[in-house]
Amino acid sequence: MNIRADQVAGGAFILLGILVFIIGWDLPFGRLSAPGAGMLPKLMAGLMIALAAGIAINGQRGEKLSEIPWSDWPHAALIILISGIATVLYTTLGFIITMTLLVFSLLVIVERRRLWAAATYAVLLTLFAYVLFGTALKAPLERGLLWF
Amino acid sequence: MQQVFESLALGFSVALQPDMLLYALIGCVVGTLVGMLPGIGPLAGISILLPLTFSLDPTKAIIMLAGIYYGSQYGGSTTSILLRIPGEAASVMTCIDGNAMAKKGRAGAALCIAAIGSFIAGTFGVIMLTLIAPPLATFALRFGPPEYTALLVLGLIFLAYMSTSSLPRTLLMAAFGLLLGTIGIDVISGHFRFSFDIPELGDGIGIVPVAVGLFGLGEILSTPSRDVQNNVTAPKFRELLPTRDELRQSAFPIARGSLLGFFVGVIPGSAHIISSFVSYALERRLSKHPEEFGKGAVAGVAGPESANNAASTGAFVPMLALGIPTGPVIAVLMAALLIHGIPPGPSLVNEQPKLFWGFVASMYVGNLMLLALNLPLVSLFVSILRIPYAYLYPMIIMFCIIGVYEVNNSVVDVWIMLIFGAVGYLLKKFAFDPAPLVLGLVIAPIFELSLRQSLIMSGGSWQIFLQRPIALVLLVISAILLGLAAWGAIAAHRDWRAKLAAAEAGE
Repeated sequence: MNIRADQVAGGAFILLGILVFIIGWDLPFGRLSAPGAGMLPKLMAGLMIALAAGIAINGQRGEKLSEIPWSDWPHAALIILISGIATVLYTTLGFIITMTLLVFSLLVIVERRRLWAAATYAVLLTLFAYVLFGTALKAPLERGLLWF
Repeated sequence: MQQVFESLALGFSVALQPDMLLYALIGCVVGTLVGMLPGIGPLAGISILLPLTFSLDPTKAIIMLAGIYYGSQYGGSTTSILLRIPGEAASVMTCIDGNAMAKKGRAGAALCIAAIGSFIAGTFGVIMLTLIAPPLATFALRFGPPEYTALLVLGLIFLAYMSTSSLPRTLLMAAFGLLLGTIGIDVISGHFRFSFDIPELGDGIGIVPVAVGLFGLGEILSTPSRDVQNNVTAPKFRELLPTRDELRQSAFPIARGSLLGFFVGVIPGSAHIISSFVSYALERRLSKHPEEFGKGAVAGVAGPESANNAASTGAFVPMLALGIPTGPVIAVLMAALLIHGIPPGPSLVNEQPKLFWGFVASMYVGNLMLLALNLPLVSLFVSILRIPYAYLYPMIIMFCIIGVYEVNNSVVDVWIMLIFGAVGYLLKKFAFDPAPLVLGLVIAPIFELSLRQSLIMSGGSWQIFLQRPIALVLLVISAILLGLAAWGAIAAHRDWRAKLAAAEAGE
C-alpha cells in the first residue's frame, strides 16, 4: 500500500467540499450587489476543494498512511463511546448519576482500575463538581428522574 | 495631561475605599474561578452574576463586574496551560505552548509568565485607556464593513503566513472554519443553512464546544495513559518561578503583545479575539528558534496572554468613550450600567466623574490584586498535575462536558464537542494545525456580514475595498504577506520553515 497520508486527507476534504455543494445546492448564491445565503459557504467549499486537491497532489512524496501510528485508536474510540452514552443519559438520569457512571466507566473499562477505587473516586469527584458548579456557581445542573 | 492626573487621583480616592477594594477583590476571585472552568467564560460568568449586583450602587457594581471580567481572563490561562482546555477562543493559543511547557515540568513558570504578562498588558492597557481613550475611540469608529473585511482577511493571511504548517494546509483549515461558521440562520436573509432541522444549530456552532473538543478532548483521545510519564513531584518554590532566561525571553513578547492587543481590542466588533492568534503568529515569525513553538516556547505563552489581556482592556475604550459595545461581554457590562440608570458614552466622564475614574482606577488595583492572587496560587495549581493521568483525564472529560453543556444548557453542544474531539484526533494524526480552524469559526459571522454589507453598499463593486484608505492599507499588507509566503516557498533555503523542517529532521 503506497497511499500517502496527504492524499487521504486531501481526498476527505474534497469529498466534504462536494458534500457541502450538494447539501447547500438550494441556498441562493445571489448577485454581487445582493449576495445570498449560499455565497460564503459555496466560496469556502470551492476554496477547500482547490486547496485539498493541491495538498493531495503535492502529497505524493509525503508520509505513507501506514506510517501513521494508530495504536491509540481503541483508547480514543472507547472514550468517545462512553462519553457519548453519558451524553445520551445526561438529561434523563441527571448530573450526579450520569457523571458518576461516566468517571467510573472510564476508570474501569478504559483504565482497568479496581472497582472500589474507581467507585470512590467517581463519587467524590462528582460530589465536588456538584458543589462547585451547582452550589457555588449556581449553574443549573440537570436533576434528572431521581431529583438530583 | 494635568487634568488626567487630577481625574485619576479622584478615581483612586474612590477605588481605594475599603468597600470598593472588597468588591474588586470579590470580582477578581470569582472571575478567576469562573475563568478556570471550561465553557463558563467571562460572558457566562458575568451574565450569571449580574443579578447579584442589582442591589449595589453603580460604582460598586461595575467595579465588581469588571473584576469578574479581567479575573476570568487570568483564570482562563490556568486550565489552558495545565490541562490544555481553552475556556474560550482567546485562550486557544495559550494552550499550545503553555501545555507543552507544563509537560516539560515548567508549568509553574508558564503560569507565572502568563500572570506577569497579563498584569503588564492589563496595566499598559489601563494607562492607554486613561490617556488616549476618546481620540482612539473616534478613530475606531472609522471602521465600517469594508475595513472589517480587510482586517479579518489580514488576520487570516497573517496566521497562515506564520503557521508551522504549509500555507495551503493552514488556509484549508481556515476555510473549513469559515465554512463551519456559516452553519445556522443567515442573519441577512433568514435562510437556515446546514442545520439539518436541529433547532439548536439555528444559532450556529458554538466556539466553546469546538475549541474544547479540538484541543482538550482531542489531546486526551490521542494520549493513552500508558504513554504518560507522570513524574511531576512536589516542586520547590524556586522551580515554580521562571528562570532569568525565561523572563528575558518573555520581555519583548509581552511588550509586543500589549501594544498589538490594545490597539486591536479598541476596534469594535469582537476583533479583539484575533489579537492572541496574531500575537502568537508574530512571535513565531520573529523568533530565532521557530522550531520551539508548539514544544514549549516561552514567547508562545507570553505574547498571546499579553495580547489577550491588553485587548480586554482596549475593548472598554469605545464603551466608555462613545457608548458602543465592542462585543458580547462589554455589552453585558454596558447593560449593567444602563440597569443602574447610567448611559455610558461621552457624557459619562462629565456627568459621573467618580464612577468613570473610579472604574478606571479600579482596573489598576484589580490587576495588582490578580497578580497577588495568582502568583501565590501557582504551586496549588501545579499540584493538579500530580494526580495520576489515568485519574486526571476522566476529571477533565467531566469538566469539559459540564462546561460545554452549561453554556446553552444544550446536549447538542456536548455532541459537537465529542465530534470535534474525534476531528481533533484525526487532524493531529494527519498533521493539520487546528488553530486556524478555530479562528475561521470565530470570525466567520463577522467576516460574512461585513463582506456582504460591503458589496451591498457598493452595489456589487469590489472596488470599495480599494477606495477606502484603511481597508486598502490592510489589503496591501495582506498581499505583501501572501507574496512573501510565495517567495519563501520558491526560495525555500531562505524560508524560516526550512529551518524548522531541518530541525525536525534532526530529531
